[in-house]
Amino acid sequence: MSGEWHDVGSLGELERDGRVIASVGGREVGVLLDPVGDRLVAVRNRCPHQGGPLCAGVVSERIRGRPGTYDLERQSVLRCPWHGWEFDVESGICRDDPRMRVAVYPVKVDNGRVLVKA
Amino acid sequence: MERKQAATRRTADVGLIDCDVHIYGVDEEILSHVDPAERDWFRLQGGVGLPGYPFGHPTGWFRHDSEYELGTRDGNSLEATQHQLLDAFGVDVGVLTASYGLAVSLMTSTYRAETFARAHNEWVREQWLDQEPRFRGSIVCPAQEPRAAAAEIRRMAEDDRFVQVLLIGGSERPYGDPRYLPIFEAASECGLPVAIHSGGEAVGVAAPPGGAGMPSFYIEWHTLGAAGSIMAHLVSLLCHGAFDRFPTLKVLLMEGGVAWLPGILWRLDTNWRALRSEIPWLERKPSEAVREHVKFTTQPLEHTDGHDKLLFEMLEAVGAPDILCFASDYPHWDSDDPAFMLRRLPEAWRETVMHSNAAALYGPRLALATA
Repeated sequence: MSGEWHDVGSLGELERDGRVIASVGGREVGVLLDPVGDRLVAVRNRCPHQGGPLCAGVVSERIRGRPGTYDLERQSVLRCPWHGWEFDVESGICRDDPRMRVAVYPVKVDNGRVLVKA
Repeated sequence: MERKQAATRRTADVGLIDCDVHIYGVDEEILSHVDPAERDWFRLQGGVGLPGYPFGHPTGWFRHDSEYELGTRDGNSLEATQHQLLDAFGVDVGVLTASYGLAVSLMTSTYRAETFARAHNEWVREQWLDQEPRFRGSIVCPAQEPRAAAAEIRRMAEDDRFVQVLLIGGSERPYGDPRYLPIFEAASECGLPVAIHSGGEAVGVAAPPGGAGMPSFYIEWHTLGAAGSIMAHLVSLLCHGAFDRFPTLKVLLMEGGVAWLPGILWRLDTNWRALRSEIPWLERKPSEAVREHVKFTTQPLEHTDGHDKLLFEMLEAVGAPDILCFASDYPHWDSDDPAFMLRRLPEAWRETVMHSNAAALYGPRLALATA
Protein backbone atom coordinates (compact mmCIF):
# COMPACT_ATOMS: atom_id res chain seq x y z
CA MET A 1 0.00 0.00 0.00
CA SER A 2 1.40 3.32 -0.99
CA GLY A 3 1.01 6.32 1.29
CA GLU A 4 2.67 8.41 3.87
CA TRP A 5 3.10 7.82 7.57
CA HIS A 6 0.91 10.22 9.56
CA ASP A 7 1.31 11.13 13.23
CA VAL A 8 -2.11 10.55 14.89
CA GLY A 9 -1.18 11.08 18.55
CA SER A 10 0.96 9.90 21.42
CA LEU A 11 1.18 6.33 22.72
CA GLY A 12 0.49 7.66 26.23
CA GLU A 13 -2.78 9.20 25.07
CA LEU A 14 -3.79 5.96 23.35
CA GLU A 15 -2.97 3.87 26.43
CA ARG A 16 -4.93 6.27 28.63
CA ASP A 17 -8.07 6.48 26.42
CA GLY A 18 -7.92 3.06 24.78
CA ARG A 19 -7.89 4.71 21.37
CA VAL A 20 -6.85 7.76 19.38
CA ILE A 21 -8.86 9.14 16.50
CA ALA A 22 -7.42 11.57 13.97
CA SER A 23 -8.05 12.88 10.50
CA VAL A 24 -5.70 11.28 7.99
CA GLY A 25 -5.84 12.46 4.38
CA GLY A 26 -9.41 13.74 4.86
CA ARG A 27 -10.64 10.54 6.55
CA GLU A 28 -11.10 9.75 10.20
CA VAL A 29 -8.94 6.86 11.31
CA GLY A 30 -8.86 5.30 14.75
CA VAL A 31 -5.99 3.41 16.36
CA LEU A 32 -6.99 0.94 19.06
CA LEU A 33 -5.23 -1.46 21.34
CA ASP A 34 -5.91 -5.09 20.46
CA PRO A 35 -5.60 -6.84 23.84
CA VAL A 36 -5.65 -10.28 22.25
CA GLY A 37 -2.66 -9.77 20.02
CA ASP A 38 -1.16 -7.11 22.34
CA ARG A 39 -0.74 -4.82 19.37
CA LEU A 40 -2.19 -1.71 17.78
CA VAL A 41 -4.72 -1.76 14.94
CA ALA A 42 -5.75 1.14 12.69
CA VAL A 43 -9.26 1.18 11.23
CA ARG A 44 -11.30 3.77 9.37
CA ASN A 45 -13.73 5.36 11.81
CA ARG A 46 -16.82 4.76 9.75
CA CYS A 47 -18.91 1.59 9.79
CA PRO A 48 -19.81 0.52 6.24
CA HIS A 49 -23.25 -0.54 7.48
CA GLN A 50 -24.83 2.78 8.53
CA GLY A 51 -21.86 5.08 8.97
CA GLY A 52 -21.55 4.75 12.76
CA PRO A 53 -18.31 5.71 14.57
CA LEU A 54 -16.79 2.24 14.38
CA CYS A 55 -13.69 3.05 16.44
CA ALA A 56 -15.83 3.91 19.47
CA GLY A 57 -16.44 0.16 19.62
CA VAL A 58 -14.59 -2.52 21.55
CA VAL A 59 -11.84 -4.84 20.32
CA SER A 60 -12.20 -8.30 21.81
CA GLU A 61 -12.04 -11.97 21.02
CA ARG A 62 -14.87 -13.26 18.89
CA ILE A 63 -17.04 -15.84 20.63
CA ARG A 64 -17.77 -19.15 18.97
CA GLY A 65 -19.12 -22.52 20.07
CA ARG A 66 -21.00 -25.69 19.35
CA PRO A 67 -24.73 -25.81 20.19
CA GLY A 68 -24.98 -25.12 23.91
CA THR A 69 -21.30 -24.25 24.51
CA TYR A 70 -19.34 -20.98 24.43
CA ASP A 71 -15.68 -20.53 23.62
CA LEU A 72 -13.25 -17.79 22.59
CA GLU A 73 -11.83 -17.80 19.12
CA ARG A 74 -8.42 -16.14 19.71
CA GLN A 75 -9.30 -13.87 16.80
CA SER A 76 -9.80 -10.17 17.44
CA VAL A 77 -12.80 -8.31 16.16
CA LEU A 78 -13.90 -4.70 16.47
CA ARG A 79 -17.59 -4.48 17.41
CA CYS A 80 -19.45 -1.46 16.04
CA PRO A 81 -21.02 0.57 18.85
CA TRP A 82 -24.23 1.05 16.90
CA HIS A 83 -25.51 -2.38 15.77
CA GLY A 84 -22.84 -4.69 17.10
CA TRP A 85 -21.56 -6.02 13.77
CA GLU A 86 -18.04 -7.39 14.15
CA PHE A 87 -15.08 -6.62 11.87
CA ASP A 88 -11.86 -8.59 11.62
CA VAL A 89 -9.14 -6.14 12.69
CA GLU A 90 -6.58 -7.56 10.27
CA SER A 91 -8.59 -7.76 7.05
CA GLY A 92 -11.37 -5.28 7.84
CA ILE A 93 -13.93 -7.83 6.62
CA CYS A 94 -17.25 -7.92 8.46
CA ARG A 95 -17.50 -11.38 10.01
CA ASP A 96 -21.30 -11.09 10.10
CA ASP A 97 -21.70 -10.00 6.48
CA PRO A 98 -18.56 -10.65 4.42
CA ARG A 99 -19.86 -8.41 1.65
CA MET A 100 -18.88 -5.50 3.90
CA ARG A 101 -15.36 -4.38 4.62
CA VAL A 102 -13.83 -1.43 6.43
CA ALA A 103 -10.43 0.03 5.48
CA VAL A 104 -7.53 -0.99 7.77
CA TYR A 105 -4.07 0.61 7.79
CA PRO A 106 -0.51 -0.23 8.79
CA VAL A 107 0.35 1.25 12.19
CA LYS A 108 3.62 1.63 14.13
CA VAL A 109 5.03 3.44 17.16
CA ASP A 110 8.08 5.63 16.75
CA ASN A 111 9.58 7.54 19.64
CA GLY A 112 6.34 7.49 21.63
CA ARG A 113 4.30 8.71 18.66
CA VAL A 114 1.60 6.60 16.92
CA LEU A 115 2.01 6.58 13.13
CA VAL A 116 -0.55 5.40 10.54
CA LYS A 117 0.27 4.79 6.89
CA ALA A 118 -2.48 6.02 4.59
CA MET B 1 -67.96 -32.11 -11.51
CA GLU B 2 -66.30 -31.24 -14.78
CA ARG B 3 -63.80 -29.09 -12.90
CA LYS B 4 -62.83 -32.01 -10.67
CA GLN B 5 -62.17 -34.24 -13.63
CA ALA B 6 -59.94 -31.60 -15.14
CA ALA B 7 -58.03 -31.46 -11.85
CA THR B 8 -57.46 -35.19 -11.94
CA ARG B 9 -56.13 -35.10 -15.47
CA ARG B 10 -53.77 -32.25 -14.83
CA THR B 11 -52.34 -33.48 -11.54
CA ALA B 12 -51.95 -37.13 -12.50
CA ASP B 13 -48.95 -36.52 -14.72
CA VAL B 14 -46.93 -34.85 -11.97
CA GLY B 15 -47.39 -37.57 -9.36
CA LEU B 16 -49.33 -35.47 -6.92
CA ILE B 17 -48.23 -35.77 -3.28
CA ASP B 18 -50.53 -34.39 -0.59
CA CYS B 19 -48.62 -33.76 2.64
CA ASP B 20 -51.57 -33.05 4.93
CA VAL B 21 -54.48 -35.47 5.10
CA HIS B 22 -56.41 -35.61 8.37
CA ILE B 23 -58.12 -38.77 9.42
CA TYR B 24 -61.00 -39.61 11.71
CA GLY B 25 -62.28 -42.80 13.19
CA VAL B 26 -64.60 -44.39 15.68
CA ASP B 27 -63.32 -43.83 19.22
CA GLU B 28 -63.68 -47.50 20.12
CA GLU B 29 -61.55 -48.49 17.12
CA ILE B 30 -58.68 -46.42 18.43
CA LEU B 31 -59.28 -47.48 22.02
CA SER B 32 -59.19 -51.14 21.01
CA HIS B 33 -55.41 -50.63 20.84
CA VAL B 34 -55.30 -49.43 24.46
CA ASP B 35 -54.66 -51.96 27.21
CA PRO B 36 -57.96 -52.88 28.98
CA ALA B 37 -56.56 -51.60 32.28
CA GLU B 38 -56.50 -48.09 30.82
CA ARG B 39 -59.36 -48.21 28.31
CA ASP B 40 -62.13 -47.10 30.65
CA TRP B 41 -60.19 -44.03 31.67
CA PHE B 42 -60.11 -42.85 28.03
CA ARG B 43 -63.80 -43.72 27.52
CA LEU B 44 -64.85 -41.72 30.55
CA GLN B 45 -62.94 -38.53 29.73
CA GLY B 46 -65.00 -37.58 26.68
CA GLY B 47 -63.25 -36.88 23.38
CA VAL B 48 -61.04 -39.92 24.03
CA GLY B 49 -59.25 -38.05 26.79
CA LEU B 50 -57.67 -35.35 24.67
CA PRO B 51 -57.89 -31.75 25.86
CA GLY B 52 -60.32 -29.54 23.93
CA TYR B 53 -59.95 -26.16 22.30
CA PRO B 54 -61.15 -23.09 24.18
CA PHE B 55 -62.90 -21.93 20.99
CA GLY B 56 -64.36 -24.02 18.17
CA HIS B 57 -64.94 -23.22 14.51
CA PRO B 58 -68.21 -21.23 14.36
CA THR B 59 -69.77 -23.32 11.58
CA GLY B 60 -67.86 -26.61 11.83
CA TRP B 61 -64.29 -27.81 11.34
CA PHE B 62 -65.09 -29.87 8.24
CA ARG B 63 -65.77 -29.28 4.60
CA HIS B 64 -69.55 -29.36 4.59
CA ASP B 65 -69.74 -31.76 1.68
CA SER B 66 -67.35 -34.08 3.45
CA GLU B 67 -68.85 -37.54 3.18
CA TYR B 68 -67.39 -38.28 6.57
CA GLU B 69 -69.27 -35.44 8.18
CA LEU B 70 -72.48 -36.28 6.34
CA GLY B 71 -72.41 -39.53 8.29
CA THR B 72 -72.46 -41.79 5.26
CA ARG B 73 -69.29 -43.60 6.25
CA ASP B 74 -70.11 -44.91 9.72
CA GLY B 75 -67.86 -42.44 11.49
CA ASN B 76 -64.68 -43.59 9.78
CA SER B 77 -63.31 -41.29 7.13
CA LEU B 78 -61.32 -43.93 5.19
CA GLU B 79 -63.71 -44.41 2.28
CA ALA B 80 -64.61 -40.74 2.14
CA THR B 81 -60.92 -39.87 1.90
CA GLN B 82 -60.28 -42.46 -0.78
CA HIS B 83 -63.19 -41.17 -2.82
CA GLN B 84 -63.14 -37.41 -2.22
CA LEU B 85 -59.39 -36.90 -2.02
CA LEU B 86 -57.42 -39.67 -3.72
CA ASP B 87 -59.84 -40.34 -6.57
CA ALA B 88 -61.54 -36.97 -7.11
CA PHE B 89 -58.39 -34.87 -6.75
CA GLY B 90 -56.01 -37.37 -8.35
CA VAL B 91 -53.75 -37.56 -5.31
CA ASP B 92 -51.13 -40.28 -5.87
CA VAL B 93 -49.77 -40.33 -2.33
CA GLY B 94 -51.45 -38.88 0.75
CA VAL B 95 -49.46 -38.42 3.95
CA LEU B 96 -51.80 -38.95 6.89
CA THR B 97 -51.41 -36.34 9.59
CA ALA B 98 -53.66 -37.71 12.31
CA SER B 99 -56.31 -35.57 13.97
CA TYR B 100 -56.91 -36.65 17.57
CA GLY B 101 -53.40 -38.03 17.68
CA LEU B 102 -51.90 -34.61 17.03
CA ALA B 103 -53.18 -33.47 20.41
CA VAL B 104 -51.46 -36.21 22.38
CA SER B 105 -48.62 -33.84 23.33
CA LEU B 106 -51.12 -31.55 25.02
CA MET B 107 -52.32 -34.08 27.59
CA THR B 108 -51.57 -33.35 31.23
CA SER B 109 -50.75 -36.98 32.04
CA THR B 110 -47.60 -38.07 30.26
CA TYR B 111 -48.48 -41.72 31.02
CA ARG B 112 -51.83 -41.46 29.26
CA ALA B 113 -50.19 -39.56 26.42
CA GLU B 114 -47.68 -42.35 25.92
CA THR B 115 -50.50 -44.90 25.86
CA PHE B 116 -52.63 -42.92 23.43
CA ALA B 117 -49.75 -42.23 21.03
CA ARG B 118 -49.02 -45.95 20.81
CA ALA B 119 -52.69 -46.80 20.28
CA HIS B 120 -53.10 -44.11 17.64
CA ASN B 121 -50.07 -45.28 15.70
CA GLU B 122 -51.33 -48.87 15.75
CA TRP B 123 -54.77 -47.69 14.61
CA VAL B 124 -53.22 -45.81 11.67
CA ARG B 125 -51.26 -48.90 10.72
CA GLU B 126 -54.26 -51.25 10.79
CA GLN B 127 -57.18 -49.07 9.76
CA TRP B 128 -55.45 -46.93 7.17
CA LEU B 129 -52.09 -48.12 5.87
CA ASP B 130 -53.14 -51.76 5.66
CA GLN B 131 -56.29 -50.70 3.77
CA GLU B 132 -54.93 -48.27 1.18
CA PRO B 133 -51.47 -48.39 -0.43
CA ARG B 134 -51.66 -44.73 -1.50
CA PHE B 135 -51.45 -43.60 2.12
CA ARG B 136 -48.35 -43.01 4.21
CA GLY B 137 -48.36 -42.51 7.98
CA SER B 138 -47.00 -40.05 10.54
CA ILE B 139 -45.72 -41.19 13.91
CA VAL B 140 -47.38 -39.31 16.76
CA CYS B 141 -45.53 -39.18 20.05
CA PRO B 142 -45.85 -37.58 23.51
CA ALA B 143 -43.56 -34.59 23.02
CA GLN B 144 -44.14 -33.47 26.61
CA GLU B 145 -42.18 -36.59 27.66
CA PRO B 146 -39.33 -36.60 25.11
CA ARG B 147 -37.66 -39.85 26.17
CA ALA B 148 -40.93 -41.75 25.78
CA ALA B 149 -41.50 -39.95 22.48
CA ALA B 150 -38.11 -41.07 21.21
CA ALA B 151 -38.86 -44.68 22.14
CA GLU B 152 -42.16 -44.56 20.24
CA ILE B 153 -40.46 -43.04 17.20
CA ARG B 154 -37.88 -45.83 17.13
CA ARG B 155 -40.58 -48.48 17.57
CA MET B 156 -42.78 -47.19 14.74
CA ALA B 157 -39.93 -46.34 12.36
CA GLU B 158 -39.48 -50.06 11.79
CA ASP B 159 -42.63 -49.92 9.64
CA ASP B 160 -41.39 -48.10 6.56
CA ARG B 161 -44.87 -46.91 5.61
CA PHE B 162 -44.46 -44.30 8.35
CA VAL B 163 -42.63 -41.43 6.69
CA GLN B 164 -42.28 -38.77 9.41
CA VAL B 165 -42.56 -37.80 13.05
CA LEU B 166 -45.51 -35.50 13.72
CA LEU B 167 -45.52 -32.83 16.42
CA ILE B 168 -48.19 -30.23 17.15
CA GLY B 169 -47.63 -26.44 17.19
CA GLY B 170 -48.91 -26.01 20.76
CA SER B 171 -46.13 -26.85 23.21
CA GLU B 172 -44.67 -26.00 26.60
CA ARG B 173 -41.48 -24.54 25.09
CA PRO B 174 -40.49 -24.04 21.46
CA TYR B 175 -38.97 -27.21 20.01
CA GLY B 176 -35.38 -25.99 19.77
CA ASP B 177 -35.23 -26.26 23.57
CA PRO B 178 -32.71 -28.93 24.62
CA ARG B 179 -35.40 -30.88 26.50
CA TYR B 180 -36.71 -32.04 23.09
CA LEU B 181 -33.35 -33.29 21.82
CA PRO B 182 -34.25 -36.99 22.25
CA ILE B 183 -37.08 -36.53 19.72
CA PHE B 184 -34.87 -34.95 17.06
CA GLU B 185 -32.09 -37.42 17.78
CA ALA B 186 -34.43 -40.39 17.26
CA ALA B 187 -35.91 -38.90 14.09
CA SER B 188 -32.45 -38.24 12.67
CA GLU B 189 -31.24 -41.71 13.53
CA CYS B 190 -34.26 -43.22 11.79
CA GLY B 191 -33.90 -40.91 8.79
CA LEU B 192 -37.34 -39.41 9.38
CA PRO B 193 -38.28 -35.75 8.87
CA VAL B 194 -39.99 -34.01 11.78
CA ALA B 195 -43.26 -32.34 10.80
CA ILE B 196 -44.68 -29.65 13.06
CA HIS B 197 -48.36 -29.04 12.37
CA SER B 198 -50.03 -25.89 13.69
CA GLY B 199 -52.78 -26.36 16.26
CA GLY B 200 -53.19 -26.89 19.96
CA GLU B 201 -51.97 -23.46 20.97
CA ALA B 202 -53.57 -22.62 24.35
CA VAL B 203 -54.83 -26.21 24.63
CA GLY B 204 -53.93 -28.55 27.51
CA VAL B 205 -50.34 -28.02 28.66
CA ALA B 206 -49.51 -25.75 25.70
CA ALA B 207 -48.74 -22.07 26.08
CA PRO B 208 -51.26 -19.54 24.72
CA PRO B 209 -50.42 -17.98 21.35
CA GLY B 210 -48.18 -14.92 21.36
CA GLY B 211 -47.37 -12.91 24.45
CA ALA B 212 -50.54 -10.84 24.56
CA GLY B 213 -52.77 -13.28 26.40
CA MET B 214 -55.72 -15.37 25.36
CA PRO B 215 -57.60 -14.31 22.21
CA SER B 216 -61.40 -14.32 22.16
CA PHE B 217 -62.27 -15.95 18.86
CA TYR B 218 -61.47 -18.87 16.61
CA ILE B 219 -60.62 -16.39 13.85
CA GLU B 220 -57.92 -14.81 16.03
CA TRP B 221 -56.47 -18.18 16.89
CA HIS B 222 -56.57 -19.33 13.27
CA THR B 223 -54.84 -16.14 12.13
CA LEU B 224 -52.21 -15.73 14.83
CA GLY B 225 -52.02 -18.81 17.01
CA ALA B 226 -51.50 -21.23 14.18
CA ALA B 227 -48.90 -19.10 12.41
CA GLY B 228 -47.28 -17.89 15.63
CA SER B 229 -46.40 -21.31 17.01
CA ILE B 230 -44.87 -22.31 13.68
CA MET B 231 -42.77 -19.12 13.63
CA ALA B 232 -41.69 -19.75 17.22
CA HIS B 233 -40.60 -23.33 16.50
CA LEU B 234 -38.73 -22.28 13.37
CA VAL B 235 -36.83 -19.48 15.12
CA SER B 236 -36.12 -21.73 18.12
CA LEU B 237 -34.77 -24.62 16.04
CA LEU B 238 -32.54 -22.25 14.08
CA CYS B 239 -31.23 -20.41 17.15
CA HIS B 240 -30.50 -23.59 19.06
CA GLY B 241 -28.47 -24.90 16.14
CA ALA B 242 -30.69 -27.97 15.60
CA PHE B 243 -29.30 -28.37 12.09
CA ASP B 244 -25.71 -28.15 13.33
CA ARG B 245 -26.41 -30.88 15.86
CA PHE B 246 -28.26 -33.02 13.32
CA PRO B 247 -26.84 -32.29 9.88
CA THR B 248 -29.27 -34.66 8.14
CA LEU B 249 -32.38 -33.40 9.96
CA LYS B 250 -35.28 -32.15 7.83
CA VAL B 251 -38.24 -30.27 9.25
CA LEU B 252 -41.63 -29.74 7.61
CA LEU B 253 -43.65 -26.82 8.98
CA MET B 254 -47.33 -27.33 8.37
CA GLU B 255 -50.38 -25.14 8.08
CA GLY B 256 -48.87 -22.00 9.54
CA GLY B 257 -48.91 -20.00 6.31
CA VAL B 258 -45.84 -18.81 4.40
CA ALA B 259 -46.32 -15.14 3.51
CA TRP B 260 -44.64 -14.15 6.80
CA LEU B 261 -41.55 -16.23 6.10
CA PRO B 262 -39.43 -13.59 4.30
CA GLY B 263 -40.19 -11.07 7.04
CA ILE B 264 -39.25 -13.41 9.88
CA LEU B 265 -36.06 -14.61 8.18
CA TRP B 266 -34.93 -11.11 7.26
CA ARG B 267 -35.60 -10.03 10.82
CA LEU B 268 -33.76 -13.02 12.26
CA ASP B 269 -30.76 -12.56 9.95
CA THR B 270 -30.57 -8.88 10.87
CA ASN B 271 -30.68 -9.71 14.57
CA TRP B 272 -28.12 -12.47 14.13
CA ARG B 273 -25.52 -10.01 12.84
CA ALA B 274 -25.71 -8.05 16.08
CA LEU B 275 -26.66 -10.76 18.59
CA ARG B 276 -24.69 -13.70 17.26
CA SER B 277 -22.51 -13.96 20.36
CA GLU B 278 -25.55 -15.31 22.21
CA ILE B 279 -25.78 -18.23 19.78
CA PRO B 280 -22.18 -18.36 18.46
CA TRP B 281 -22.63 -21.87 17.06
CA LEU B 282 -24.50 -20.32 14.13
CA GLU B 283 -21.64 -19.62 11.75
CA ARG B 284 -23.95 -18.71 8.88
CA LYS B 285 -26.99 -16.53 8.57
CA PRO B 286 -29.91 -18.48 10.07
CA SER B 287 -31.89 -18.23 6.82
CA GLU B 288 -29.30 -20.35 5.02
CA ALA B 289 -30.20 -23.39 7.11
CA VAL B 290 -33.84 -22.98 6.07
CA ARG B 291 -33.03 -23.56 2.42
CA GLU B 292 -31.24 -26.81 3.27
CA HIS B 293 -33.32 -28.23 6.08
CA VAL B 294 -36.83 -26.79 6.24
CA LYS B 295 -39.91 -27.11 4.07
CA PHE B 296 -43.38 -25.62 4.40
CA THR B 297 -46.78 -26.92 3.36
CA THR B 298 -48.78 -24.66 1.08
CA GLN B 299 -52.21 -24.81 2.67
CA PRO B 300 -53.62 -22.36 3.58
CA LEU B 301 -51.63 -20.28 1.09
CA GLU B 302 -52.54 -16.71 1.90
CA HIS B 303 -54.91 -15.00 -0.53
CA THR B 304 -53.19 -11.87 -1.72
CA ASP B 305 -55.96 -9.72 -3.22
CA GLY B 306 -54.33 -9.85 -6.64
CA HIS B 307 -50.71 -9.69 -5.43
CA ASP B 308 -49.71 -13.31 -6.04
CA LYS B 309 -46.78 -12.19 -8.19
CA LEU B 310 -45.44 -10.17 -5.26
CA LEU B 311 -45.94 -13.09 -2.85
CA PHE B 312 -44.07 -15.50 -5.10
CA GLU B 313 -41.23 -13.03 -5.64
CA MET B 314 -40.83 -12.60 -1.88
CA LEU B 315 -40.90 -16.35 -1.31
CA GLU B 316 -38.31 -16.80 -4.03
CA ALA B 317 -35.99 -14.57 -2.03
CA VAL B 318 -35.99 -17.13 0.79
CA GLY B 319 -35.72 -20.31 -1.25
CA ALA B 320 -39.05 -21.00 -2.98
CA PRO B 321 -40.08 -23.02 -4.87
CA ASP B 322 -37.70 -25.55 -3.26
CA ILE B 323 -39.14 -25.01 0.24
CA LEU B 324 -42.83 -25.55 -0.58
CA CYS B 325 -44.79 -28.81 -0.54
CA PHE B 326 -48.41 -29.10 -1.59
CA ALA B 327 -50.96 -29.94 1.10
CA SER B 328 -54.74 -30.12 0.88
CA ASP B 329 -55.66 -30.36 4.59
CA TYR B 330 -58.61 -32.54 3.58
CA PRO B 331 -61.28 -32.73 5.00
CA HIS B 332 -61.07 -29.44 6.88
CA TRP B 333 -63.12 -26.35 6.08
CA ASP B 334 -60.17 -24.44 4.60
CA SER B 335 -58.72 -27.26 2.50
CA ASP B 336 -57.13 -26.49 -0.87
CA ASP B 337 -58.08 -28.20 -4.10
CA PRO B 338 -54.87 -29.12 -5.98
CA ALA B 339 -56.35 -27.70 -9.20
CA PHE B 340 -56.78 -24.36 -7.44
CA MET B 341 -53.18 -24.49 -6.26
CA LEU B 342 -51.94 -25.35 -9.75
CA ARG B 343 -53.74 -22.33 -11.15
CA ARG B 344 -52.10 -20.03 -8.62
CA LEU B 345 -48.54 -21.33 -8.76
CA PRO B 346 -46.08 -20.01 -11.36
CA GLU B 347 -45.78 -22.64 -14.09
CA ALA B 348 -42.10 -23.27 -13.36
CA TRP B 349 -42.94 -24.12 -9.73
CA ARG B 350 -45.71 -26.63 -10.30
CA GLU B 351 -43.86 -29.94 -10.54
CA THR B 352 -41.50 -28.92 -7.72
CA VAL B 353 -44.26 -27.93 -5.30
CA MET B 354 -46.81 -30.62 -6.17
CA HIS B 355 -44.32 -33.50 -6.30
CA SER B 356 -40.53 -33.28 -6.18
CA ASN B 357 -39.99 -31.41 -2.92
CA ALA B 358 -42.10 -33.91 -0.97
CA ALA B 359 -40.58 -36.84 -2.87
CA ALA B 360 -37.09 -35.65 -1.86
CA LEU B 361 -38.18 -34.96 1.72
CA TYR B 362 -39.63 -38.42 2.30
CA GLY B 363 -37.24 -40.38 0.11
CA PRO B 364 -37.58 -44.11 -0.44
CA ARG B 365 -40.36 -44.58 2.14
CA LEU B 366 -42.63 -42.54 -0.09
CA ALA B 367 -41.67 -44.18 -3.36
CA LEU B 368 -42.93 -47.50 -2.08
CA ALA B 369 -46.44 -46.12 -2.02
CA THR B 370 -46.66 -45.93 -5.76
CA ALA B 371 -45.27 -49.46 -6.31
